[in-house]
Amino acid sequence: MLDRRLLKNFDLGLLFVALVISLIGVMTIYSATRPVLDAEQQTFYLKQLTWIGLSLLALFFVASLDYRRPLQLAYIFFGIGVALLIIVLVAGRIGMGAQRWISIGYFSFQPSEFFKIFFILAISRYLSEMEQESELDLRKLTKITAIFLLFPVAFIIMQPDLGTALMLIFIFISMVMIFGIRKKIIALVVIIGIISVPFIGNIMFQSLKGYQKYRIVAFIDPSVDPRGIGYHIIQSKVTIGSGGFSGKGFQKGTQGPLRFLPERHTDFIFAIFAEEWGFMGSVFLFLLYLFIIIRGFHTARVASDKAGCYLAVGITSMFTFYFVINIGMTLGMAPVVGVPLPLMSYGGTALISNFISLGFIESIRMRRSFLSY
Amino acid sequence: MRRRGAEKAETKKLWDEDLSNIHLKKSKRKAVILATVICFGFAVISIRLVNLMVLNHKTLSQKASRQYDRVKTIKPYRGVVWDRKMREMAVNIETDSLYAVPSKINDTKFLSSKLAPIIKTSAADLNKKIIAKKGKGFIWLARKMDENASARVATLRNELGIKTIDFFTETRRNYPNGETASHILGYANIDNRGLEGIELKYDKYMKGEDIEVTFTRDALGNSMSGGTEDAVPGNNILLTIDESLQYIVEREISNAMEEWKAKAAVAIMMNPMTGEILAMANRPSYNPNFPAGVPGDKRRNRAITDLYEPGSTFKSFLAAAAIEEKIVRLDERFDVSQGFIVVGKKAIKDVHRHGVITFEEIIQKSSNVGAVKTGLRLGATRYYEYMKKFGFGDKTGIDLPGEMRGILRRPQNWSGTSIAALSIGQEIGVTPLQLLRGYAAIANGGLLMKPYVVSEIISPAGEVIKNFSPQVERRVISTETAIKTRNILKKVVEEGGTARKAYIKGNLVAGKTGTAQMVDPATGRYSSNKFVSSFVGFVPADNPAFALIVVVYEPVGGSYGGTVAAPVFKRISEHALTYLDVPMEMDENRVLLVTDAR
Repeated sequence: MLDRRLLKNFDLGLLFVALVISLIGVMTIYSATRPVLDAEQQTFYLKQLTWIGLSLLALFFVASLDYRRPLQLAYIFFGIGVALLIIVLVAGRIGMGAQRWISIGYFSFQPSEFFKIFFILAISRYLSEMEQESELDLRKLTKITAIFLLFPVAFIIMQPDLGTALMLIFIFISMVMIFGIRKKIIALVVIIGIISVPFIGNIMFQSLKGYQKYRIVAFIDPSVDPRGIGYHIIQSKVTIGSGGFSGKGFQKGTQGPLRFLPERHTDFIFAIFAEEWGFMGSVFLFLLYLFIIIRGFHTARVASDKAGCYLAVGITSMFTFYFVINIGMTLGMAPVVGVPLPLMSYGGTALISNFISLGFIESIRMRRSFLSY
Repeated sequence: MRRRGAEKAETKKLWDEDLSNIHLKKSKRKAVILATVICFGFAVISIRLVNLMVLNHKTLSQKASRQYDRVKTIKPYRGVVWDRKMREMAVNIETDSLYAVPSKINDTKFLSSKLAPIIKTSAADLNKKIIAKKGKGFIWLARKMDENASARVATLRNELGIKTIDFFTETRRNYPNGETASHILGYANIDNRGLEGIELKYDKYMKGEDIEVTFTRDALGNSMSGGTEDAVPGNNILLTIDESLQYIVEREISNAMEEWKAKAAVAIMMNPMTGEILAMANRPSYNPNFPAGVPGDKRRNRAITDLYEPGSTFKSFLAAAAIEEKIVRLDERFDVSQGFIVVGKKAIKDVHRHGVITFEEIIQKSSNVGAVKTGLRLGATRYYEYMKKFGFGDKTGIDLPGEMRGILRRPQNWSGTSIAALSIGQEIGVTPLQLLRGYAAIANGGLLMKPYVVSEIISPAGEVIKNFSPQVERRVISTETAIKTRNILKKVVEEGGTARKAYIKGNLVAGKTGTAQMVDPATGRYSSNKFVSSFVGFVPADNPAFALIVVVYEPVGGSYGGTVAAPVFKRISEHALTYLDVPMEMDENRVLLVTDAR
């Protein structure tokens, strides 16, 4: 299955950087949950290490597959994914106010994490099989939206998981844009968008759950209620800010262990990292992420076929959006929507899903066409 | 045809592939654009990062430390107060103070309804109080609770599994003897700050030193225990007061208050040789364990704050001055048979007609006319000098807060009748302590002592930090004069004197009665039914164990010092002499048992 030529094209750099980021993640989780006033160290970091081991296996497995084979099964996967989303709604476990988990015996996972990959696979397949006209017209765009986007987004919003739903929309838009849309449609969407923002915005705002509304209000003005709504944002800024230029040093951060920063080892892990490693460390971390993102787009550029290109774009934009929204959230530039930081945040499902995505990138790179270089 | 068809299909396929390639290339170009846009996004994030981490670093890190650094003040033990025999008069007891963590309380209404009856407040008020501090991590609910209440709260806490309330051990000042010596001790408030009496005067010695410990605190309200440093405890105070004597004095003036339905009463017992106060009591009184809401009337230490006209008790000083100045002989005869004497526009009368009496008898029988005659002979300037020397018009300097200096006008401000009034103890304002101090000078051979209540300040380790020894202010009269005056005062209690009721079996008493009319504040004239009855003296007369003054304000059904105050003096003295183990000088028939009686 793996010949030597393929093996030679395996991108060790990408794997290495991803691994470094996840290990930084483990380190930060350790520091964030270390006991200062509590009795003992929490074991999140050990669990995360186990997840990294499993994730590596998953990455190697996916990389060894020709990405075209899962693409052939993309629609089936997509169907299964949608089914899981419905199951979650009907029989899911509630965690932190939202129904996002499915438990199978000892094991529980978030289907929406895997669904994103199925979603990208299905759209990649669909776009790669489109007729050869270079741009989408309104009819086709509507059709794709109705088939792939509408129902999953609806189901995920019902969980409710606004963050993931937004992610799907962003990924969809970037993939469709890469494929190409008639300029007229873009113009039309933009105009309708601008006109309808107040109306739709209002309708959406009204239909949001209470806490979601608060998050948006708090994002605009955290000082509205520093103890309640704006607490996340204020504490996150305080945490990051107290890191300063060079940081407090490993295991010297206080905001996490003293529990002032909520979600310290999950969504807000970057703040903990920034507190301990400072501006310098943060920039270094950004460069690591940027490396992965550039590598991802480069993979799209060198993909040997359209499906590979769209797949790489879909995966890389997913990765990018997660990164941007998460960091924006911790820096107080985006509303708190509950999006993990890829590769670093604590959580098995997300980590395995991240590494599987990178496995696809590796798979595409390994089978790239050298002609297009 | 078929061939051509196949060829055509081939061409189409190639064409398609080509077309597909063109499209793919376009897509790839767009991907590059997207990547560029993302790089731009990174730049924006980095700018934000600079803003937070470099420009606003200081403010934000201060914000951080403000939420986890908690400064907690550890309160020291307040010094203990002992009587002269090291019996505890003011101590600290550990009590439970109840606090809550409002931020963690879910059902404030339920909690309030359960707690309110125990901590004696209304559920609605308590609920309001907790809700007002909703976001906070700490609020006092009840401080320094009694044992019963804290036990009930503890049971409630365990039964309901409430973890949002807990106890904090604080020390509460406790006065084991309740009302006894309350005016000397004063009291300390809930924060252990001395507010009156010794507690106020020696607060800086007794309070100890707070220690501020910085605790690290987390968002859940846990804080780093540890803080091994302890606050520096305060120093202990050793009083000159004798708890037993104090108790005797308090008991007897209480009885007198009841017997005479008096408005107030004061008694002070002093060691005339040293100036040490052995007992000092006032009625009405209060319990310093519960000082809240007690009116000033009950808290006031009348012994040093209230001025009154001493009346006849003041004649002793006149006599002493006259003897010292040698203007009279003890056996010199004075004709007071008229029963009154006119000075200026004022006629001063005797209570009883006395005929021709000796100088000694003027004091023994308390003749006003005789006193005025002596006063006129002494003259204003000299009399004023002696009053001043005896310490009137000046603070005694006792180590208690709130002392008054009294009223003694200079001779240039006197009216024509002043010399007469002053001769019988009017037109002068004195405190009971001032008067007692004057008698102590007569008792000890002529030395004016500085009265004091604290003899030692002792560190927690047991070292004496400060030692207060007897302090002589000045010599007022010669020893000879003192002895002569003392001998006259002995006669007051003897047959023919005004204070037979102060007679004590076995020991000679030297003393003087006093009955002063009070000035009616409504009319500005002497009231006909409001009196201050007093007796002041020392016992045993020739070798006094103590000097004692008893003042009863506004007794009902009796007015004379001999009737009201002298019996109190007698009862206190008898008990005190027994307690002090003072040997009897003579048997029942007044035959001297001890020959060497100075």
